[in-house]
Amino acid sequence: MSDWTVENLEFWDQKICEIGAKFGLDWHPIDYEIIDYQEMLGTMAYIGLPTHYRHWSFGKEYERTHLLYNMGQTGLPYEMIINSNPSIAYLMRENQLYIHILTMAHCVGHSDFFKNNRMFEDTNPNNIINSFKSAAKYIKTLIEDPSIGIDEVEEILDAAHSIKYQVPRYPGIKYKSHQELLLLERIRMNQKPVYQPNLERVPLRPEFNILHFIAEHSKKLKEWQRNLILIVEESSKYFIPQALTKIMNEGWACTIHQKIVNELELPDKLHIPFIKLHNQVIRPHLGRVNPYHLGFKLFEKIIKEKGFEEAKLIRETHNDITFLRFYLDQEFMQDMNYFSYSFKPKSKHHTVDDITNDEGWENVRRELIRNVGLNGVPTIYVNEIEKNNTLCLTHEHDGRDLDLAYAKKVYEYIKVLWKDEVRLLTFIENEVWEF
Amino acid sequence: MSVFRKHESIVDRASSDRMRHKRKIEKAIKESIKDVVAEESIIGQNGKKKIRIPVRGLKEYRLIYGKNEKNKSVGAGGDHTLKKGQKIGKQRAEQAQGQGKGGGSDQKGDEYYDVEVTLEELAEYLFNDLELPDLEKKKFRFISEETIKRKGYRFKGIRPRLSKKETIKRKVRRKKKAIKAGTYDPEGEERFPFHQDDLKYHHIKPKIKDNSAAVIFFLMDVSGSMSQERKYLARSFFFLLYQFLNHKYEKTEVVFVSHTTFAKRVSEKDFFQVGTSGGTIVSSCLEMELEAVEKEFHPNSWNIYTFYCGDGENWSSDNEKSINLFKEIKQISQLTAYCEINEDYRGLTDPEPDKTAHGYPWDSFSAWKNEDKNNLWSKLTPICDNMFKKIMIGGQDDIWVAFNTLFGGKNSE
Repeated sequence: MSDWTVENLEFWDQKICEIGAKFGLDWHPIDYEIIDYQEMLGTMAYIGLPTHYRHWSFGKEYERTHLLYNMGQTGLPYEMIINSNPSIAYLMRENQLYIHILTMAHCVGHSDFFKNNRMFEDTNPNNIINSFKSAAKYIKTLIEDPSIGIDEVEEILDAAHSIKYQVPRYPGIKYKSHQELLLLERIRMNQKPVYQPNLERVPLRPEFNILHFIAEHSKKLKEWQRNLILIVEESSKYFIPQALTKIMNEGWACTIHQKIVNELELPDKLHIPFIKLHNQVIRPHLGRVNPYHLGFKLFEKIIKEKGFEEAKLIRETHNDITFLRFYLDQEFMQDMNYFSYSFKPKSKHHTVDDITNDEGWENVRRELIRNVGLNGVPTIYVNEIEKNNTLCLTHEHDGRDLDLAYAKKVYEYIKVLWKDEVRLLTFIENEVWEF
Repeated sequence: MSVFRKHESIVDRASSDRMRHKRKIEKAIKESIKDVVAEESIIGQNGKKKIRIPVRGLKEYRLIYGKNEKNKSVGAGGDHTLKKGQKIGKQRAEQAQGQGKGGGSDQKGDEYYDVEVTLEELAEYLFNDLELPDLEKKKFRFISEETIKRKGYRFKGIRPRLSKKETIKRKVRRKKKAIKAGTYDPEGEERFPFHQDDLKYHHIKPKIKDNSAAVIFFLMDVSGSMSQERKYLARSFFFLLYQFLNHKYEKTEVVFVSHTTFAKRVSEKDFFQVGTSGGTIVSSCLEMELEAVEKEFHPNSWNIYTFYCGDGENWSSDNEKSINLFKEIKQISQLTAYCEINEDYRGLTDPEPDKTAHGYPWDSFSAWKNEDKNNLWSKLTPICDNMFKKIMIGGQDDIWVAFNTLFGGKNSE
């Protein structure tokens, strides 16, 4: 059925690697796993990880992908790669040779991005597979422990998952410990006697790592419950850089696969379907932002104007937010025909707010950046632990109101973790709202 | 150079998590059924008709921004020329909701699983393990009936229970022994007679058999004050009760009695549909029930259930009589429930109702937790116990609660 053998793959892989090296790319070696469609579904459910802990949400994800795939609403991805050293990537047995060639070249781009982009500095690719493995093992023992069991484990995991993105969003920053902050405050107090901060306050500065804070400060959590929360925090830390660089990462990988394949001198019977697939991947999605399209086009523009070496520098230093802020200009946005829209509760319709023209383009760009990656996820922080061990959380309101129904549920989940009173403050329609 | 590995694993790694997800879905079905039981479409249906139940998928809640003007999305316009303020397609905008979020499953929007079940399956889901733990033991009993069964033989007994077979067997045995011993000559003229010791009698034992037949009396006030909505609530409630009892008993008979100032035995259709005007005398239908019990459903062989639904109105001169009749019915029934349906009770079934709130029932009607009022509700309080219960239904949400109160689930007491 398939038009390829492993020898074919090895042949093209060698060429791809040679060309990649010629471009000055620097990537982790890649291990390709050749799997079938069932296994692909399984792998996708666990976000590509060869080992992950048990949770029903992965089962749900599997069913969802399976259903969509069966209904023909979605194709399976031809690329899936893990940020590890060596990088683990998957090739689906059912795919044809030209897809594999595209995939392999694409994976070189991703792996190069993982290895070089500064957002990924702390992801520890050498050990990541093992640390997920030991987390999975640990959770398995908890589930099998007759005094704990799956229901109690799920209670904590469900709750922790609800705030899994409430972790620091700027990788590479070393946060000061409580002791260090205390020392700093003392120094300031010595320099300036009028300065009298409350040193009893916990935390001294607003704390954005909610999961870690709860695991550390909750008075009633059992040891294994703390560990579970920390496991969720660890796995979030692994995914945060990917969420922060989706557009760049995909754009870069598309740029690289195109550059490499163009030098491969593929025979027509492989090259023509390749072009077709490439165009499909980077096509704009009507009414949405296709990160592959945006990233690819923006890198294309940068390479045209500033050269490939400059682009390589950009892939090292930027994340999506800065990338868009620096390089998205009016002309480019006009080409993309981007517009912003919102739901108007009065007319019960989605209505165009701004289009890319002289007066509107900056608004559209601002809204685009406001929705990129984790900017689309609300931020809450720990303000302080009040009397009676009440955890006081504040939503960092940026003009967008929270969805109350969801926020209420999340609030309940945080209570499950904190095991004492919790207050969550936000603004709804310009009025203070307290849960 | 990269490494290629053919993955030969046959382990379906997602299977246990899928199983767990499926179990959670099943639980969600059971919960959704509670909402469905009050839906018009299934009430009054009988038999194997399939019912579609929309089950909301299991959501993973995160903090998300609400759908409002300040939460703008951005999209590519393609070749379209767009203008500020232009309305855009709803569907496309819905799809676009997920833009920029972490993973696919973070998207908002309800996922529905449509599940088709038959009424029987629905009853299974509803009643088998749904928060009614002590039900079988405590609240749900069968009338027992004594029957007699033969069991073994005895030397003593009354003539009609003589076992001819056993008696003959013993005589033949004795005869054979006699021949062997030479005391009897079979060739001779002499008869070999029965002897007192040969006689054996059947032994009988009384056996207690559970009777699995039930009759349900649905009594309802159909006077002018019972609006369509009230009747509809009564209907939902009756439906649930019927399904439940039907599920537990082999044979269920239903008697519908509607009343205004006089009672009338009617068909199911008329019971719910025909509306009349006129006053309310509760005792009329109670009398009719007692009459029917006497003629057709003897309490020794039928498990009797009585459910009365009204809006709390009764002629005050009739209260005394009604209470006495209720007491009488309580004696012969497995369970009797007096149920008041009134929109004004909405929310009053909450543990601590705010009596000052608007809409608190007026004096002429029964009043929840206001025991000094001269009405049927208050006057029935002394006879309330496990066998007699008062229920208040203000809206659809109360139906399940009321059901739980009756059959002693976790939610009651």
